[in-house]
Amino acid sequence: MDTLRIYLKLIGISMRSRLQYRADFVTGIISVIVLNAVNLTLIGILVNRFVHLNGWGLWEMVFLYSFWVMSHSLYSLLFWHFNTMEDHIVQGTFDQFLLRPIGTLVQFLGREIQYIGIGDVIVGATGLTLAYSHLHLDWGIYEYTWLVVSVLSGTLVETAIAWIISSLSFWTTRSMSAFFVMMRLNALTQQYPIDIFGTWFRVVVTGLIPVAFINYYPSLLLLGKTEQAGSWGWLGMMSPVVAVLLLGIALLVWNRALRRYSSTGS
Amino acid sequence: MRLFWSFTRQSFHSSAIYRFDFWLQLFSVFLMMYSVFWIWTILYHQRPGAFGISLEQMITYGVLGMALDTIFHPGRGPQMYIAQQIRSGAIDTDLMKPLDFHLHMLARHFGETLFRFSTLALPSLIIGYLFLDLQLPAGWAQGLLFVISLLLGFMVLFSLNFLLGLLAVVTLDIRSITWAYNGIVRFFAGQMVPLWVFPGFIGALAAVLPFKSIFYIPLSIYIGRLSGSEAWQAIGFQLVWICVLIPLGRLAWGRIHSRLVVQGG
Repeated sequence: MDTLRIYLKLIGISMRSRLQYRADFVTGIISVIVLNAVNLTLIGILVNRFVHLNGWGLWEMVFLYSFWVMSHSLYSLLFWHFNTMEDHIVQGTFDQFLLRPIGTLVQFLGREIQYIGIGDVIVGATGLTLAYSHLHLDWGIYEYTWLVVSVLSGTLVETAIAWIISSLSFWTTRSMSAFFVMMRLNALTQQYPIDIFGTWFRVVVTGLIPVAFINYYPSLLLLGKTEQAGSWGWLGMMSPVVAVLLLGIALLVWNRALRRYSSTGS
Repeated sequence: MRLFWSFTRQSFHSSAIYRFDFWLQLFSVFLMMYSVFWIWTILYHQRPGAFGISLEQMITYGVLGMALDTIFHPGRGPQMYIAQQIRSGAIDTDLMKPLDFHLHMLARHFGETLFRFSTLALPSLIIGYLFLDLQLPAGWAQGLLFVISLLLGFMVLFSLNFLLGLLAVVTLDIRSITWAYNGIVRFFAGQMVPLWVFPGFIGALAAVLPFKSIFYIPLSIYIGRLSGSEAWQAIGFQLVWICVLIPLGRLAWGRIHSRLVVQGG
């Protein structure tokens, strides 16, 4: 409980220091909205011209995309700075987290809040609402609960993968390219239904770097497409399980990484 | 020309240390080429011969677009360098150099682009050729026109990026603006979806904006969608925009330079 209190306090401080730069705050959020609008327009043009993409209509694609953005928003608000771990290690500034008498992870996570995530929340919520009405979905309490559970699971999946990659930089010092690979995989699963990319791609994003659990599999379930997905359909339920498993692995890797750490001394 | 080479050499030296990094980068390019291959394969399976273009041509366009993304990604370029120098205050060392700033940026960026072309784009093109049905240009003449339009495309992108970099001098930070900028440039450049797929108004807008010089014109020439007099017209279009953008950049730099305030040190 103490840890949580400290974390919230740190986040509060980060938030206030961020809000010093109002102009940057506004342009950042507008930028995110513009970028997503451009991406969606591109998808819209493609699907419109070809009617559908492997059985996915325009609004189903919007749903898939927005679902991902919604999951991603929490990650980008609170956990995005796993990306910066390698800088701390290369420059030796990671030492500061080990010196203070509070948990290393709490200090690191509380360091920053990436307000850009608010732009993602706006985009995700708008996209999901529009898709919901265009697809004439009619959900009950069960579907809504499942939506919340799987969005949160998606956040945890992305966070755990980023956490593992950033822990690897304790061994390799460089992790940026690994993050780029993850971002590319993420962008692909975000924008396109992975069933178009052939079997081995699906195996990779399901079993190896399971980003498909962020949006694809839960969307199958919520859009009633599990039968169309055949023998892969049951995975729609598995997001929470995958999230917990991944977090466990991430914690193991992180602990090993910490034990291994020796400062660069520069 | 020696100036341009020295920046290429420097890029080689500073990147040679991280070999594992290189393989991961190559892998992510492959991933994008592979995905665009499948997207067009599926779409053309649904509607063969769409827009009067064959599947082979469309795949070549897409795969080539992804391979060239390694050198033409708008997220890299002089604006990043300028923004970084402004943030750290080190821009004064650039100003002290006995070298025209605009030319310095061009040489530096050209050197880096050449480096990335030989280490990333070229291997990607070979992989694309071997595994993903990337085809050779229709003929020697077409290939030559492609190279010319690619160089002109580089100049257009450089000039746009330079202008964005100048914005960093004024506003001190362009990090968040660059996301929107990257998205818009890649969209109107036809990096992923060619301009002939764009509907009505968006298509008309894309046709007059300078961005299509970066991907759409070189790629369309490569696959033979633009040939003969049409190709020359497209190259003329690129030249016109270069003649507008270069003086604009130099003029803007001249004005900003005279009121530049350097922080820190």
